[in-house]
Amino acid sequence: MLSIYQLTLRQLSGRARLLILVVLAVMPVVTAALLLAESGTDSVSDFDIGVLSAGLFGSILPLVVLAIAASAFANEIEDRTLANLTLSPVPRWRIALPKLLASITIAGPLIALSAFLTAHIGFLGEWKATIAVTVSAIAAVVMYASLFIWLGLKSPQAVGVGLLYIVLWEGFFAGFITGVRMLSIRYYAIALMHGLDERRFVDYDHLSMTAAVVMTALVIGGFFFLSVRRLRRMDVP
Amino acid sequence: MSHNGDLVVSGAPAAAPVIRVNGVSRWFGAVVAVSEVTFDIMPGITGLLGPNGAGKTTLLRMMTGLAATSTGTVTVFGEPVRDNPPLYRRIGVMSEHETVYGFMKGREFVTMMGRLRGIPNLEAAVDHAIGLVDLADAQHRSMETYSRGMRQRMRLAGALVHDPEILILDEPLNGADPRQRVHFKHLLQQLATEGRTIVLSSHILEEVEQVADTVLLVVNGKLAAAGGFRAIRAALNQRPYHVRVICDSPRRLAAAVVALDSVDAVHVDPDGAIVVLSRNVLDLQIELPKLARSETITLRRVEPLDDSLESVFGYLVEN
Repeated sequence: MLSIYQLTLRQLSGRARLLILVVLAVMPVVTAALLLAESGTDSVSDFDIGVLSAGLFGSILPLVVLAIAASAFANEIEDRTLANLTLSPVPRWRIALPKLLASITIAGPLIALSAFLTAHIGFLGEWKATIAVTVSAIAAVVMYASLFIWLGLKSPQAVGVGLLYIVLWEGFFAGFITGVRMLSIRYYAIALMHGLDERRFVDYDHLSMTAAVVMTALVIGGFFFLSVRRLRRMDVP
Repeated sequence: MSHNGDLVVSGAPAAAPVIRVNGVSRWFGAVVAVSEVTFDIMPGITGLLGPNGAGKTTLLRMMTGLAATSTGTVTVFGEPVRDNPPLYRRIGVMSEHETVYGFMKGREFVTMMGRLRGIPNLEAAVDHAIGLVDLADAQHRSMETYSRGMRQRMRLAGALVHDPEILILDEPLNGADPRQRVHFKHLLQQLATEGRTIVLSSHILEEVEQVADTVLLVVNGKLAAAGGFRAIRAALNQRPYHVRVICDSPRRLAAAVVALDSVDAVHVDPDGAIVVLSRNVLDLQIELPKLARSETITLRRVEPLDDSLESVFGYLVEN
């Protein structure tokens, strides 16, 4: 398992890709700092919605994870090197798990640091809010990684389909159709955030903390299961 | 070897087959890539021969479990090969795709392949596999700096590192230079004498002829013939060939050549070339120069018109 983990880390940590992702991760931090510099005219609610929901959780976080996780298998399929892994005598979950862990290893710290700094600046160093944002961001990274790893195995257009999910489903439909939020990783993460700090997103319809935790576990476990099943059933190029 | 092809050359095996392909078909949408193929593979070297697009790679992918069959079964050592990872301890595969992890050194690649297969004494096994493909000097270089042939050899080392009982190689000689080909053939023969089962595919008749004990001819997704190479070759030599002859006196040569026993028909093209139809091309090769010398005719060019694999396979399928 360590071999596949190390291999995936090397595949995913190209300098140009990391540079772009770092620039993306810095953007919410800079936005929070700029808002703070504008003499605090924005309310906490505006910060929640504008910077956290739309900026960090609505675009930066899923885009960063999409760029990494969707490539974990998709690049192997495109390069036709996946057979090197699937022709080994290891259970398929021991191929999928290191791919997932490697994606989280790269995206996780980047997003966690971005979320921590953004919240720390935006909430003037208040720890409860900062921890709530950071923990829910990490949970979101793992959920998105599990989804996009599977998507990379399932579709040759994984990045395009992932973008549609982020922009159309979570960004557009979930904005005005309450039911859609019940099938949205972004809103599970926001529900987690609200559960950890009830002052966050007070105006939203939320899942309960328990439901958010259950949905988080279901998304991670469910898409991981689908990835393993896909590896067992697919024709490997 | 037993099979359902059109030309049966050898008898049924006494021992249990290592690989059994039974009534296998595979289609992609409306395209039938492999159709109702049945054969057994025994220890030794088996060549899977056929023109490009014949279905060789699809067959090999089903034999390795990389692709599912639409109908039929593939078993290796009596077990289904599909979704059976433990079986890969006993199988080494080198696919036709030449892509490698460019950021890896050759030794790193072979080490990773060995580690994935959980072999003991990893370093010694890697040394042995790299030594077998004669790439010890280049093992610490990045694989993106390798030539095509070197990449193929290092990939072969990756397929060999766990000392598999079965080796499945798809077009392994692609990109190999003549020296590498000779080395590769010796290596395969050495591995086969150790009791391994080796299956290699190629679209080049001579490539397979030089190494394989048994040949499976695949045409249009069907098994056209199977058996010992000499018997198949003899069958090929008895098929009618068209041979084009250019000389300084075509009408005189045409009149003389039609009397040869090895010639079935002759006609003269408008451009002055003679086209000879022969069912015994080996005799024609000997008799034609003798005839030209006795008739004091200068032969400028003699070329087979239909010596491509496609025509050979076409003949086998039609008959």
